[in-house]
Amino acid sequence: MSTALDRQIRPIYDALDTQSNKSAVLACNKVLKKQPNNVLVKALKALALVRLQKVEESLLLADEVLAKKPTDDGVLTAMMHVLRGLGRHSDIVAMFETAYKQHPQNEDLGTQTFFANVRVGNWKAAQQVATKMHKQFQDDRYLYWSIFSAVLQANDMATPEALRPVLLKLALRLISSGNTPSYFNPDRFYVHLLILRELEMYDDAATLLNHEIGQKICETSLVCDEIRRDIMKLKGACKQEGEQAKVKILEKKDRNWLEFLSLLDATFWDIASTSEPASEDVKAAVTEEIAKTRKVFSEAATVDGLKDRSGLLALLELEKRTKSHGLWTDACEIRMMAENYFSQFGDKACCYEDLLPYLAFEGEELEQWTSFLNSRKSFDTPDTLQRSINVYKLLRYNLTSAELTPELELARAQEYIKVYLDGLKFGVNLPDTELQPADDFAILVGHAYVSLWKLTGEESHLQSAAATLEYASARSKQSYRIRLLLIRIYHLLGAPALALDHYRLMNVKQVQTDTLSHLILSRAAMWSLAPLGDITYMSECMEASQIYMSNSTETAEFIARAFSTERYSQIIDFIEFEDRLDNSLQRDLMKVEHVRMRVAHEPLNAELVDMELIELKFIFDRIHHDNRDFEVIPNYQPRCQPSFNEQTLPLKPPGAGWLSAYLKVYIRAFQEASDLDETLPLRERLVKKRQEEIDDLSEDEKLFYEYTLALSEWVGPYHDYVRPPPSALLAEAAKSNDLKPGHPLKSMAAAANGSATNGHSKKDEEPPAVKESPELIPKFFDDMKSRFDAVISGTALPSELLHIVATTQEAYLLFALETVRFKPNSIIKQYKFGQLAQSFKDLRVKASSILNEMSTVLAKLGEEVATPDGRKAFVQASSSIQDSSGFDHDFVLGVAKKTTDARKQTYEGIAKGLAKVVKNHS
Amino acid sequence: MSVLRPFRATDMFKFNNINLDIWTETYGISFYLTYLSRWPDLCCVQEAPNGHMMGYVIGKAEGHGQDWHGHVTALTVAPEYRRLSLARKMMSLLEMVSDETYKGFFVDLYVRCTNSVAISMYEGLGYSVYRRVREYYGSLGLGRASKDEEDAFDMRKPLSRDPHRRSVRANGREFVVSAHDVS
Repeated sequence: MSTALDRQIRPIYDALDTQSNKSAVLACNKVLKKQPNNVLVKALKALALVRLQKVEESLLLADEVLAKKPTDDGVLTAMMHVLRGLGRHSDIVAMFETAYKQHPQNEDLGTQTFFANVRVGNWKAAQQVATKMHKQFQDDRYLYWSIFSAVLQANDMATPEALRPVLLKLALRLISSGNTPSYFNPDRFYVHLLILRELEMYDDAATLLNHEIGQKICETSLVCDEIRRDIMKLKGACKQEGEQAKVKILEKKDRNWLEFLSLLDATFWDIASTSEPASEDVKAAVTEEIAKTRKVFSEAATVDGLKDRSGLLALLELEKRTKSHGLWTDACEIRMMAENYFSQFGDKACCYEDLLPYLAFEGEELEQWTSFLNSRKSFDTPDTLQRSINVYKLLRYNLTSAELTPELELARAQEYIKVYLDGLKFGVNLPDTELQPADDFAILVGHAYVSLWKLTGEESHLQSAAATLEYASARSKQSYRIRLLLIRIYHLLGAPALALDHYRLMNVKQVQTDTLSHLILSRAAMWSLAPLGDITYMSECMEASQIYMSNSTETAEFIARAFSTERYSQIIDFIEFEDRLDNSLQRDLMKVEHVRMRVAHEPLNAELVDMELIELKFIFDRIHHDNRDFEVIPNYQPRCQPSFNEQTLPLKPPGAGWLSAYLKVYIRAFQEASDLDETLPLRERLVKKRQEEIDDLSEDEKLFYEYTLALSEWVGPYHDYVRPPPSALLAEAAKSNDLKPGHPLKSMAAAANGSATNGHSKKDEEPPAVKESPELIPKFFDDMKSRFDAVISGTALPSELLHIVATTQEAYLLFALETVRFKPNSIIKQYKFGQLAQSFKDLRVKASSILNEMSTVLAKLGEEVATPDGRKAFVQASSSIQDSSGFDHDFVLGVAKKTTDARKQTYEGIAKGLAKVVKNHS
Repeated sequence: MSVLRPFRATDMFKFNNINLDIWTETYGISFYLTYLSRWPDLCCVQEAPNGHMMGYVIGKAEGHGQDWHGHVTALTVAPEYRRLSLARKMMSLLEMVSDETYKGFFVDLYVRCTNSVAISMYEGLGYSVYRRVREYYGSLGLGRASKDEEDAFDMRKPLSRDPHRRSVRANGREFVVSAHDVS
């Protein structure tokens, strides 16, 4: 590049670097005036334009540049960013392929072509490029690129079953053709082992692994050691592994739990590896092995003392497995070991979860265990406090149904509160960044009150739980576990705003939004005040969805990078990660929630309908991964009860079936309301109910689902008749396009020359006969009304009430969506739809009056709840926590005020929203 | 007692119990993938038998010449799994790999000057303060303004390639540099 030109181009790069895209465009124009054919400047201008969201202009320039078949590095790099911004990933591949073909000696172009294929997951082409590069440049690294591309192609779901072994065998052959053996570096060694494992050539793999270098690699590379363990297991070399594990445990003092598991597996191998019943000889041999293993574990336990739990826990696991294989000798062995374990490690927070798998005691064993625990309560020091927390948790775990009476649970709740308040003294001087040592007692209080609510159906227990947990949260500001419980309880109490506050204080971000946003966005439409213009939950959906954008722009780049750094061991995981985020269930559940709220928030016009139709259709056939984290929610409920998570879900969490049902509901409604041509013939699938869907729906949602099916079956034929033909639409689009500056889109321009007539052409066939509305439609609204009345007069929770209201409102909105096309008088006249219009009107009036009634009742409830009387009731309801402790009356009153105000706000907002929805669509 | 295994990209779906704790930062996807695509052997996880993640370490190898070393970028253990020597085990793996695979001269890490619990733990593992780095950390945003909170100690431990312990010094706490002087 000449210096003069360099001087002109530098300002463009500078502007692009500082995101001053407008000045970049100006700078480009300046150069292009003098040199209208400068490809680099055109590419840079296209980049600035795409960043300015001027997609069409950028597209045209990009096409011009691509037509020149660029090979210059600067042009290619700029175009890669342009095309990525335009989502034209396959064009990136084509661009580099074309460039590489012109300069087959250029190693960098080859690399770029390879990476371009990798980013889009085109393994076959990637493999071919890498093979070519290996021949050309004789570098083993390209050989491994080609090998691993073949492995990935074999892994790809789209590859035919029969082709897979062929590809793997090819990969194996290529490995032996390398200049250096695979153990040249751990990741190449990993590739070699992976191929042998997939081909089930375990003996060959073992030979590699037993080689001195192979052993050395596995010592320092966890990834290789992991696949080594896997191969040995598949090979059935459990006993050999067990022997090695024994040496590692005793001589090298290795305390990786995997070694203990290896030895356990080896011990029971002769019984566990066959489905045949074991002979007495085998049993005797295994019993002998058990004794030997017990000695190893006991020795480890003695050597480690309080330093490590492995030995003692392994002994417990050994006894448990002995029992499960019918080799049981002494009935009290497990209990005594558990007691021993507790005595040594009871002051560790994880003692509870360590012991859980071994505590299914009954009868006398349970009695002894319980009395052992009861004698270990002590609150003298922080260490004994932790021990007592474990005592209480473990006692709770083994409670039987007979012990779970309301009286006993109440007594427990009060005891937990007492020990919680006592325990606070150990944390008085801690900085506010620290957790209170007594936190878990407050969490137990929450559990006991939730259990009481489940036993009695009385809401007051949830209020007591909220009051205690708020108290604890104020004292332990960083405890996300307390917040998790509060989020659930506030939703049940109809105070979603408070749940949202706690969620935000947890500072959930980045990839966590995928796994945790379900806490506030599951069926968020039922809390949303979108009809009033409050877009809180819609924004939460948008924010939580940012991570999916990051995933699609960033992750593929790292797959390419892992090839470049030869970290093959990471690539399969990166691909899985990308796929799990890209096809995340939560992602599309949030999309559906967003649509539900948008429909309530915005006018039902073509822009909304067409856009959402296209987007929902796009996700309809995804195979989803459920990444939602429910495990993070603490659970200390007795083993005979459902978990805290299950108990406090307002409704069954929406799953793949729920998503499928709601996608069908909305795609159907949008398709009918839209003038867009149906490019994918989905209709048959859209009306088909699947059991998996029904199982996922609440009772009210089931009614709603049936209602939407009946509605679209009834109205569908009229839509099909009235919908303008595609040619007319294209003509319309072309016409409006002509008015805009710039070039018309090609497809539109071509269609505009067709024989389309304007607008509502007269059709040949008669309009479909007008039918009465199916009975199910008015009945749905009646049913929801009776559900509402029943819930109002009963003791159901606010969340149930709001679910009914939201479902009825949604049905009303879908009705509006399905009938909006038939509103204009001209349509009614032209197609003689007078009678149909009358049916619509009757139904609308009926539904409106039901919604209005619900609105009035809700508004009244809202008023009642936030009065001094309502608060008093709350405080009285929480009297149990005041009786038992030093809880301040004012504190409970404060929580009462917050909760009742939040509920009032929700009730009133939703009541107003209902009225608004009715008004907007009447 | 825990499973020591490699950190995987998909662990990002599982690490909530660790990362919701205030002391652990959750970074963007590219942070984790950068480390995994370059130094996967310096990243590992401790896992409980029930599959819960207990803690993890993320590290890298960097520097030139005599300064070539292993660096601990993040070391974290979930609150419920503390006091089990997990950090010690993960550090010893990272040191072993820095020594044997990367042939580094030392391992280093940064720690808030106020974090006395961590500092004494690292001292117990053979680390010593090499220098104090001014304003290395942001404020915790909890209304405190102590300098100590924002300053970091750069702590180091020599590996077998540095038998004469040239990478450490005795009075490191008095040796102060600004954040601009370190990478």
